Amino acid sequence: MNWLRALAATGPVPVYAAVGPGMTDEVRRLALDPVVELVATPRHASVLLVAGAVPPSADAALRRVHAQLPWPCATLWYRSRPFPELDYPQVIEAPEMLAGALQELHRAVLRGPRGREPVLLPDVPPAPFEGRGDYGQGGEGMMGGTPYGRPMAMTTDDLRDGLALDKLELSLGPFFRGLPSGLVLGLSLQGDVVQRCSVEAPPYPEPPAPPFLQALERPMPIAALELARARHHLGRLAEALDLAGLGAPGRRLLRSAGGLAPGRRLRWLGPLVLGSGLLGCVGTGHGRLTRDQAVGAGGPAARAAGQAMDARTEDPGYRQLGFEPVVQRGGDTRARWRQWLDEIDQSLRLAARAVDTDAHTASSGAVEGPCGRLTRDGNPPDLCPVLESILPGCEWGEALAVIASLPLAGTMMPFPAVTA
Amino acid sequence: MSDVLLPTLAVLGTLLAGAALVAVLDQAAAGVIAGGPFRGRLSAPLARAALLWLRPDATTEHPDALLWRLAPAAYLALAALGLAVVPWSAEFVPVRLPTGVVLWGAVEALATVVIFLQGWAPNAPLPLLGAYRHAAAGLSYILVSMFVLIAAALPAESLAFDAVVASQEDLWNVVRQPLGLPLFLVVGLGIGVWGPLRFADAADLAGGTTAETSGPRRLAWALARGAMLVAFSAVAASAFLGGWLGPWLPGPVWLLLKMLLLLALLVLLGRLLARIAPGRFVGLAWLVLLPLSFADLLWAGVLALYGGTP
Amino acid sequence: MDLLTLAVIALAALLLGLLAQRPRLRPARPPWPARMPYLGGGEPATHAWSRFHVRYYPMTLLLIAFEMEMMFMYPWAVVYVAEGLKALAEMGMFLGILGVGIVYAWREGALRWQ
Repeated sequence: MNWLRALAATGPVPVYAAVGPGMTDEVRRLALDPVVELVATPRHASVLLVAGAVPPSADAALRRVHAQLPWPCATLWYRSRPFPELDYPQVIEAPEMLAGALQELHRAVLRGPRGREPVLLPDVPPAPFEGRGDYGQGGEGMMGGTPYGRPMAMTTDDLRDGLALDKLELSLGPFFRGLPSGLVLGLSLQGDVVQRCSVEAPPYPEPPAPPFLQALERPMPIAALELARARHHLGRLAEALDLAGLGAPGRRLLRSAGGLAPGRRLRWLGPLVLGSGLLGCVGTGHGRLTRDQAVGAGGPAARAAGQAMDARTEDPGYRQLGFEPVVQRGGDTRARWRQWLDEIDQSLRLAARAVDTDAHTASSGAVEGPCGRLTRDGNPPDLCPVLESILPGCEWGEALAVIASLPLAGTMMPFPAVTA
Repeated sequence: MSDVLLPTLAVLGTLLAGAALVAVLDQAAAGVIAGGPFRGRLSAPLARAALLWLRPDATTEHPDALLWRLAPAAYLALAALGLAVVPWSAEFVPVRLPTGVVLWGAVEALATVVIFLQGWAPNAPLPLLGAYRHAAAGLSYILVSMFVLIAAALPAESLAFDAVVASQEDLWNVVRQPLGLPLFLVVGLGIGVWGPLRFADAADLAGGTTAETSGPRRLAWALARGAMLVAFSAVAASAFLGGWLGPWLPGPVWLLLKMLLLLALLVLLGRLLARIAPGRFVGLAWLVLLPLSFADLLWAGVLALYGGTP
Repeated sequence: MDLLTLAVIALAALLLGLLAQRPRLRPARPPWPARMPYLGGGEPATHAWSRFHVRYYPMTLLLIAFEMEMMFMYPWAVVYVAEGLKALAEMGMFLGILGVGIVYAWREGALRWQ
């Protein structure tokens, strides 16, 4: 079978990435590497990549994900602290070693089972059922008990048509690929539709890119700021495309985000995104923010709802370049996606003009970050209660699209002391 | 014996080779669209298949083991049934069935069942959601497909695919009935769980029905999906592009060329179009596609009675 | 003979699909935590098998009506050219009546909820 193993080793490494705080950009960069294939579920993976210091509250979830990789498998701890039970954990710190280490582990997994990595949870069913109940499988009566370890779903009324059928309750964990990393949603589903949503854990904060933090301290070249903004929006759009099944166009967006320079215009972006029918994933009006919610959110989400709130209008440097905030009507998911597209175009045009005139920001009290207004001591708004009010009634795909269009992670920034 | 063995080998060989070709085309399309370095891109599907063959089977707490085993195999069997009634030349049809169109209709209907079973069997939330979503779409596009195929069968006065191909000697159905092929392509995307109609294996469900599968079972499912696309392209080529008809080259070569064209088109559509929301697709299928297929049938009927040489 | 070939093809493909999954005589039983359904680290509260709320059930009734009509269209397609305009008119009437059904379902919102 050796030739088969050799053939299998030439392919991309299937890696499941458990993304910790602040690691989203690095993992996105890894997605562009042809050596690695980031998969959506640990069942498809042979290597688990734990990136970033996962907080203790997500420990149990990480153990579950770790157990779900089919053995033989391996784990790579990148800039994170491995579980104490592991004897020989693979830990690396340097980003340039990441792809190589993943490939090494994959080849070792293919060569054959080595010492077995322990399953970090006890080998017991979710609830004891052996020999219990009427038939020995843990069930009681018609629908009660815990047959084969879990209870059966029970009926409740439905939001939309009142037909009482079974409700599926689940908690979608911190490492689910369609959600921002760290976000734990407790969902109650009737069929396809979210009936109740509660945010059990907020997403891990994503600090704004360094140019924005530096702009709070001193005048920064506008070109650098606008390119960083375009990069952020391209990353979010790539996530939305990935959710819609367009992994390849998403990777193209990420690749162009890595190679942005003032003067490039990305004219293919609009036709690619709009022509793919991404806006057809959600109906008009889904995920609409009320006026108060939009004003509270700030940033592109508010501008997509028609509120022209932009800290760049207060800055003389931007006013010299003729900056006007771009707004959409509607405030729903489609408007927010269109807003990102328009803002990318606007940022690239501003960057081109700013490089010609070498423009700098003039005021440093408030900076318009990619997700909203940043000030030295202000706290960005928390959008999680907004989720709990707009998700019920959404179908699964629409709910995930709404979450992908809101700047959740950016707004959970516990503002650090700004280091230049 | 050879008139059982030869057709079997021809059908199975085409399905396997075609499924591999679909994987290679898909990989190439993804590479061109994503841009970036071109390292060993065309051998990646083969390497992935070898990896899946070697990986272990994952299982869940209390699956329906029998159905989980049968679903990918039944999907492949349905693709084989569909390809078996397609004529390769004027003399060679693997199975000469006078009601080939009816068999293809049955294949489409059962494909919905099989895809549902693949999502039901693991007893896990994400695959189950994928299964039910697909059922909604599957029940909507099947009527479109049937009307369009009946329209193609009208000039042939027969439900056998060799008669349908023979009736296209003067003019292919894609020209005579222009609405037919675009509508049928939508159906092809659906039964192959591909591109904009990829509800069952959706990316927002972490792989949907494949979220709990790994290893050889995942390989079998991918193989079956590719095989279904190949069978669909053969049926579409026979019903609308004239099948094995064509000058200079032998019949089977023409059929393969037309299948290749359709497969390339399907792969491109799959990589460039976003997955549509299931609710919107159901509305679209019943309110736009179905009336268009009525119009196609009416046009074909009028043309069959009054158009062309009687 | 052709039906025998068809059956052989179907069975051979079924067998190929089963063999491609490498079924083992003694399947490996991973430990319980490895078999938990994947939810990104989260947990389901119940089994997934349930009385799932299928929102598109009104659409399925419409489908059954059309499926019955499909059964009539199969032989109709074969004799159509021989029968001529009469066949076209009859099928047109049949489709028209069912088309009214689609419009009714649309106005009643049966196509809106899933």
